[in-house]
Amino acid sequence: MSRLRSDTITLAYDAGPIVRDVALAIPDGRITTIIGPNGCGKSTLLRALARLMKPASGAVILDGQLIHQLPTREVAKRLGLLHQQPTPPGGITVEGLVARGRYPHQSFLQPPSRRDAEAVDRALELTGMQALRQRPVDQLSGGQRQRAWMAMALAQETALLLLDEPTTFLDIAHQLEVIELVQRLNAEEGRTIVMVLHDVNEAARASHRIVALAGGRIVRDGTPEEVIEPGLLAELYGVECDVHRDPSSGLPVCVPRSRLDVPPAPSPGPQPAFVVDHLQVGYAGTPVLHDVSALVPSGQVTAIVGPNACGKSTLLRACARLLAPTGGVVRFAGDDVRRGSHKALARRLALLTQGPQPPSGFLVEDLVAAGRIPHQSLLRQWRAHDEAAVEHALQRCDLCDLRYREVQTLSGGQRQRAWIAMALAQQSEALLLDEPTTFLDIAAQVDLLELVRELNRREGRTVVMVLHDLAMAARYADQVIVMSHGAVVAAGPPADVLTSDLLREVFEIDACLSTDPHTGALLILPNHALTPQAPQAAMLEPVRS
Amino acid sequence: MALAPARRRGHLTIRTRAFDVRINVRVLLLAAGVTGVLALLATWAMTLGSYPVPYTDVFWSLLGRGNEEHEFIVRTLRVPRVLCAIGIGGMLALSGAIFQGLVRNPLVSPDIIGIESGATLFAVFWLVTGRGWGLLPFAAFGGAFLTAALIYVLSWKGGVSPNRLILVGIGIGSCAAAGTTYLTVRYPVEIVRPAQVWTMGSVYGSDWGDVRVLGVAIAFLLPLAVGLTWSLRTLQLGEDVSRGLGMPLERTRLLLILTGCALSAVTISIAGPIGFVALMTPHLARMLAGPLSGSMMLLTGALGATFLLAADVVAQHALPVALPVGVITSAVGAPYFLLLLYRANIRM
Repeated sequence: MSRLRSDTITLAYDAGPIVRDVALAIPDGRITTIIGPNGCGKSTLLRALARLMKPASGAVILDGQLIHQLPTREVAKRLGLLHQQPTPPGGITVEGLVARGRYPHQSFLQPPSRRDAEAVDRALELTGMQALRQRPVDQLSGGQRQRAWMAMALAQETALLLLDEPTTFLDIAHQLEVIELVQRLNAEEGRTIVMVLHDVNEAARASHRIVALAGGRIVRDGTPEEVIEPGLLAELYGVECDVHRDPSSGLPVCVPRSRLDVPPAPSPGPQPAFVVDHLQVGYAGTPVLHDVSALVPSGQVTAIVGPNACGKSTLLRACARLLAPTGGVVRFAGDDVRRGSHKALARRLALLTQGPQPPSGFLVEDLVAAGRIPHQSLLRQWRAHDEAAVEHALQRCDLCDLRYREVQTLSGGQRQRAWIAMALAQQSEALLLDEPTTFLDIAAQVDLLELVRELNRREGRTVVMVLHDLAMAARYADQVIVMSHGAVVAAGPPADVLTSDLLREVFEIDACLSTDPHTGALLILPNHALTPQAPQAAMLEPVRS
Repeated sequence: MALAPARRRGHLTIRTRAFDVRINVRVLLLAAGVTGVLALLATWAMTLGSYPVPYTDVFWSLLGRGNEEHEFIVRTLRVPRVLCAIGIGGMLALSGAIFQGLVRNPLVSPDIIGIESGATLFAVFWLVTGRGWGLLPFAAFGGAFLTAALIYVLSWKGGVSPNRLILVGIGIGSCAAAGTTYLTVRYPVEIVRPAQVWTMGSVYGSDWGDVRVLGVAIAFLLPLAVGLTWSLRTLQLGEDVSRGLGMPLERTRLLLILTGCALSAVTISIAGPIGFVALMTPHLARMLAGPLSGSMMLLTGALGATFLLAADVVAQHALPVALPVGVITSAVGAPYFLLLLYRANIRM
């Protein structure tokens, strides 16, 4: 049976249809996950199912009625939606936020009932947030914040729960934690759950049923075993994958194959690229890094990894001189990065920040040409050398066909490539990348990291990147620097550093380690989180006194 | 000198031993076209008035060969007014373009973030306390700079964030407007009256002295504004990216703010606050020419000059009563501002 279904709906924005003729019945009491490449319409479909968007044709039906004819409050009593990256109202506490989930059940001018208080308590218990209930939401870590929002959706006490990318931005332990919470809600309370996920393996681990969407249509619909297979993944993402079986759970795990023969890691240059010496950095008086020392070899790909809020982006930003240290020093090729002009540093060091917003009207070529700014002056605005560097960067990043396109019209992966091309046109010795793969689907992630590695191998540039995906770091980095709580806890080649003990201690996950049969690289298959769980009693019906 | 045709349409690369530049020819041609229209409009404006002067007489009068009466009307009364409208329109437009680029927000201009209000407060204070019109430009100038400095200091928190700058600016602007209102009720009506007329913004009664002040200001500020286009363009990429590209952010911002303030202060000291030119014109330029390019400031300036001159012609001649030009620009600009807000809302 299904209480919620879509009857051949087509969904369109101004630019044209995003989802076409999708007929989908959500099975009651199960976990259904929608997957697909960036821009395939998965979030749009979820929004329509939650009545946030009116279909251009077709209808969404909830309990046999057209959802758009039901009153908002009625829908909200039956169906809860957790948005992608919601922003909390300023200053609200966790409890205040969760209590907002009770709005559909309350009436005007009526004080919250005992029933409301119970629902809030229970939602806090289920998500393990009781201890933090008085804490302002803006002070929480990413994982805690996501759990607070989840608690709000739970307090709504709806039979149907819709979650839009609930794990993006979370580190691996928190991702697993959220997925486990979803599974518990389903198993013990029988809630129907519909999720959008962009990580295929997470979808396989979490769901009973997977719906694969491409180009706004359903291309496959079935159990994880039926859906996660190389042929379909190639069709969906355009990437060759191997599907392994996780030895402990028996679930399929997809591992994208590298697209080119990987040249061996170059031996590091004689002098380290970066020397971080007893560095202390913070924001507005709150220290984030205390006394960090690290070496980044030159000519290799180094990844900085660690759980959320461990200070990895802060370290990278200090290396790029975006933050002023309160103590210690960062040396790049022997010189203090704080010395000399910004422009001189920009000629030697290119930085790609996290999620930069392209200005409207900028063409790809304009963006790439901006990479030449540190080399230009009032009289020398456009030398032959500048033009050659831009051409070279466009070619390397395979953007020649897109050079006259507006950056804002590109897909996430293409856009990220354009930014990399800009950094490349800077022709610097080192390239710093802050979470370059966030928001990208698996194919675009592989594409990008392959490109970065190729740039390192062919041109000998030092690459330092912050990654939050451990598995990707293990595959694409020659060196990893592991951080935790503002300190470096380990550094070295991935295979030496990323042991199951370290994963347990630093990332708080239980993982199965193996090797990729094709490349011999380290494979990390996470099993479950080790974070303390909410007490089992919380699953039982709340005691009514 | 090698003159290589650019592969990209509309661009011309010129490389010499002394300099290498790439020029967006399309934008430059547009700017030239607008300037042409401006010249025609200016000539027409000089023929209009309660005493019409035919085109040929305008021409001869400009060269100093007309009859005495025509020469007086054209050279003493009409030319300064036309030139002031042109200079003020252009400068307002440039200052708008600078502020919009600086905060990456198209809904910003010196009249909206309170700089004009601050200048007005000082100028009105100057007038109602009977200090005379002679040193008024300096009062307005001082007001604009003090206001800008205050906004800058109050929005400083380890660096200036554009959003805080806008909010602080709106707050300061409201305070200054309240101050102006207080002055107008505090002092006797006959003293306040001329000051109130001045606050409506008008180029009525401009003389050659005003033109000279404008000329000097433009000679300094236009090259500065054009030179700063590069920095503005880099800033469009966002703070972190600009820094990554080696831009000293705070220094560039300070320079941009000073230039923008100077541009708007000069116009206020001569014509009083004229609303919406600074807000609207950069939009128009972007609509015509796409994103910021080197010649953009020339186009923006020419468009601003044309807009204000056209508004002045309408204010002076099209209606039964001659109005201050600020009334016309506001009448056109306010609905446009609402339209912008409406569209911005839809996008969100």
